[in-house]
Amino acid sequence: MTEQYFSGLRIELFLTMLILALLVGKVLAIKQNPIGTLTLISVFLISSIGISFMQNESGYLFGTMFRTNSTILFEKAILLAGTFIVFMLGFEWMKKQKHFLEFCMLLLSTLLGMCFMISSGNFLMFFLGLELATIPLAALASFDLDEKKSSEAGMKLILSSAFASAILLFGISFIYGTTGSVSFDTIASAIDGNNVQKFGFICILTGFAFKISAVPFHFWTADVYEGAPVAITSYLSVVSKGAAIFVLMPVLYHAFGRMSSTYIPALILLSTVTIITGNLFALRQKSMKRFLAFSTVTQAGYLLLGITGNNTEAGASVVYFMLIYIFSNLGAFTVVSILQNRTGRDDIGVYKGLYKTNPTLSMVLLLALFSLAGIPPAAGFFGKLFLLSSAAGAGYYVAVIIASVNMVVSLYYYLNIVKMMFVDEPEITIEKLKPAVTEQISLFICCCGILVIGFIPAIYEYIYNLSAAI
Amino acid sequence: MSSVTVDYLPIFIQFCVAIGFVVFVMLVTHLIGPKRSSKVKDASFECGIEAKGNARTPFSVKYFLTAILFVLFDVEVIFMYPWAVNFKGFGWFGFVEMTLFLGLLLIGFLYIVKKGALEWEE
Repeated sequence: MTEQYFSGLRIELFLTMLILALLVGKVLAIKQNPIGTLTLISVFLISSIGISFMQNESGYLFGTMFRTNSTILFEKAILLAGTFIVFMLGFEWMKKQKHFLEFCMLLLSTLLGMCFMISSGNFLMFFLGLELATIPLAALASFDLDEKKSSEAGMKLILSSAFASAILLFGISFIYGTTGSVSFDTIASAIDGNNVQKFGFICILTGFAFKISAVPFHFWTADVYEGAPVAITSYLSVVSKGAAIFVLMPVLYHAFGRMSSTYIPALILLSTVTIITGNLFALRQKSMKRFLAFSTVTQAGYLLLGITGNNTEAGASVVYFMLIYIFSNLGAFTVVSILQNRTGRDDIGVYKGLYKTNPTLSMVLLLALFSLAGIPPAAGFFGKLFLLSSAAGAGYYVAVIIASVNMVVSLYYYLNIVKMMFVDEPEITIEKLKPAVTEQISLFICCCGILVIGFIPAIYEYIYNLSAAI
Repeated sequence: MSSVTVDYLPIFIQFCVAIGFVVFVMLVTHLIGPKRSSKVKDASFECGIEAKGNARTPFSVKYFLTAILFVLFDVEVIFMYPWAVNFKGFGWFGFVEMTLFLGLLLIGFLYIVKKGALEWEE
């Protein structure tokens, strides 16, 4: 019995132990050196990724509160990997912070919250995890104490997520009122899709749309991404969004499985509006972080479109896309972070003529942008292909065509940056930058991820078999 | 009228009486109370002194911090209450669990003290 709890909760226990160790280290004022802390965190994160692949039995713990199976563990491994890369890419900035340990603790507790959120088999557990994942993020977004924009980002994040949480809770209360339960299993069998439940469901979907910044609930995204420190921006855009997407799937497929005639049109509408709006706004951004913010809004639209497929393939394609998306987006953010750290600017002008001075960085950014745009050699192409084909398999051709047309539109702004780097004359002179070791690790992992994942079909098959086994 | 509605009728009546009383008292004092105003009486003052400057000045957030810490330890007591009620039923297992929980919270408390969040004067 006890072993079952230990093995089901192993990743959460690992993270809790790590957070506690950091806290105790802080309280006892053990002589801290940031590199030692980073090593400790890396060892814990990497070993957590390792243990997430061992002995995957599925089942419930604490009644129906905590759910675990091999797909969920794989999703956790993706998030852990994302967090590891975020630590690597942001370390140069983090180590200069006075409150470095607090930063790590807060970041890891959001990760812990996300793990609980993904594993939830119950709306109560889900909500707890969501709050644990959200509240420290607001503190992290405002971590740059000298920057006014950073405080603004934290404030905007906490207000909009409080609003989203309220709407989500409102929706959950309607579902609870009509089905008499907050457990996904009971809801799945008790739900009949009457109007009250539809209303509750739309409220819940709104809460989710806030978290994954789908249009029309995306207004916080650009401002928060621009103001927050780069490490947090990348974390928000990848790990936080990934967790919300991962939990959205079981909620839709499992708890609201009988209401597919309600949620599929809603998802299609959300995704098409998101893709179009995200693209149009990304076209005219001058700041690189804002640009990437709208790019992630667009990617969220593609993810939502993939979810409409409503079967095992759809689930697998979403997980597969997230895996690729982590490497592509974090690759781009690593370059942005390096440039912002050294030049203090994040406007697009900095990237003009970057290839002449920093060929390696330019090549990495090129690869990341190709992957985000979905150009074949990069893995992003395969990710988008599977997402669109899962939606097409379910017969939503109009939405797929709109999405494909928008992929062409998105090529314009992705390639515009590539053109600036390779063709344009430099606007300001940047000397040859030497990335720190941690940044090199991050660049290397991201490049490998982008290049390799697309060419190994076994990875998609592996994910598909995991999803099919449930 | 369904029985559920009837059950809640007393609450509704009480609600109306509560609101009605407030409205009644305010109306009566407004209507029959004497109104004598003078220039001195209308002047704004604070503790007998003329008001000066802007009320929107930055002030210490210590109260805010204390309030947040209070909530933290308040929640702890909520956890302890059911444990205390079922103390015998939980036995040693419950005792160890609770000690662990309190120990973890104590680390947090030590952190607060070390950060100097409880030092009122600086």
